Amino acid sequence: MAGAEGFVEADNAEAIMIRIEHKTRKIESLLKQYKPVEALRTALEGTHAMTRDERCKSAHWIVVHRALMAIKDVDGMLSSLDSEYYDILMKYLYKGLSTGDRPTCEQCLRIHEKLTERAGFGCILRQKLAFQGTALPMYCKRDGLFPQHMQRSYFSM
Amino acid sequence: MAAISVHQFAPCITCHAWSPDKSMVAFCPNNNEVHIYKLFEDKWEKVHTLQKHDQIISGIDWSTRTNRIVTASQDRNSYVWNLEGSEWVPTLVILRLNRAALCVQWSPKENKFAVGSGAKTVCVCYYEQENNWWVSKLIRKRHDSSVTSVSWHPNNILLATTSTDGKCRVFSTLIKGVDSKESNGSTSSYSKFGELIIQLDLSLSWAFGVKWSPSGNTLAYVGHNSMIYFVDDVGPSPLAQNVACRDLPLRDVLFVSERMVIGVGFDCTPMVFAADDRGIWSFVRYLGEKKETSSGSKYGSQFSEAFGKFYGQSKHGMNNDSVESSKIRGGVHENCINCIMPLGECGTLIRRFSTSGLDGRVVIWDLEGQQDLLDYM
Repeated sequence: MAGAEGFVEADNAEAIMIRIEHKTRKIESLLKQYKPVEALRTALEGTHAMTRDERCKSAHWIVVHRALMAIKDVDGMLSSLDSEYYDILMKYLYKGLSTGDRPTCEQCLRIHEKLTERAGFGCILRQKLAFQGTALPMYCKRDGLFPQHMQRSYFSM
Repeated sequence: MAAISVHQFAPCITCHAWSPDKSMVAFCPNNNEVHIYKLFEDKWEKVHTLQKHDQIISGIDWSTRTNRIVTASQDRNSYVWNLEGSEWVPTLVILRLNRAALCVQWSPKENKFAVGSGAKTVCVCYYEQENNWWVSKLIRKRHDSSVTSVSWHPNNILLATTSTDGKCRVFSTLIKGVDSKESNGSTSSYSKFGELIIQLDLSLSWAFGVKWSPSGNTLAYVGHNSMIYFVDDVGPSPLAQNVACRDLPLRDVLFVSERMVIGVGFDCTPMVFAADDRGIWSFVRYLGEKKETSSGSKYGSQFSEAFGKFYGQSKHGMNNDSVESSKIRGGVHENCINCIMPLGECGTLIRRFSTSGLDGRVVIWDLEGQQDLLDYM
């Protein structure tokens, strides 16, 4: 049951890089055919298999970023994207937001708004960033959801 | 309406428990006391105040057969209260903790109780007749962080724990002299006290609220990343299922039958989860109204303001209406629900249960009128 949380022991990094290259070509061709949603789906597929290799992570991000920036109709895209992809998409939106690059952030923010409406807060909370304490979204700091005192004296974290 | 009675007892409640005949409720109003209220006709009146702890009481359990109350507090102590005449008399239990006690539960046979703590340990306490006191045995190893919740398996020996290290663990708490040898020899297979039977590493975030199903075959617990985990056939080859929640995380769960679980948490309304014929668990629905205004600001004005700033528009609007409407609508609970207790016999179908939360309310729910849910049970 390698859900979005499972660390599947992926193949070696080389195999992943080759897969990503294939993906890149496929995505470029889909984009030329004006099929941005399929391109995004292709980009997001297979990123389940979490890898610790930094090169692979970067390569995944480049591919997803390419597909994300090509999306014009956000509502349409989300309507045709299966809900199983919501958590992964949200992960990459936060990755995009953390780059600080203006066009990327604008696009990610635009998609984030719609995705949150569809997927709910749970989707945001499932992102690991929530526990780094730094990039915690303001609207998650309510009603003791991540209480400060839980990190003080009588709790050991 | 599933909620049959709502009562505001205090500004905030940390935990609650019911007397054996369910006529009295004991809770901690977010201070160092336990208040016991009894229902006289239509009014709740305070009948006892238990004052002994120095800090907030984080867990209360009231045993049904022996009528004892056990309290666990952030002052690192636990007391067992016995009713003598009309007074509740406390007995200090020396837990040997150097951090807060966070949760407590009587074992099914009520001869032991378990306390989870911020000291990364679990204390299993039993009564020693000769010395007339409660002895605490510690499970020191294994936990990497605070133990947030404990739950006893029906066999009185296995104990499940959840921790802020994200893991759920099952231990044996076999104590010589307390747990007599069963004739079917099953206890001999749970070797020694403190042995880790299974460790479930399903969550990447804090884990809370573990409970066993009535038969002891299934475990359910929640993760702070809005997930709920169901584990069948707890043993050498368990079957785990992750169910993602749409909204805010849960804090506690309750099995109302072998196939139905009620989850409560930051959404302020109980959520129903059920397993279908194939044993696949999924979210069914909310019980009662979810606190939502219509299409505009979905999550209440506090969020719509935050969202407005985040997205740089006032699209969701500084809707003053939404402040009013969410108050008028007044969901049953107005703040996080952190405790859910059954109001029926354990082990049988539970139709009624109660919830208490940070809003200081205790709400009693009845599934009797929810036909679609009764079909699952």
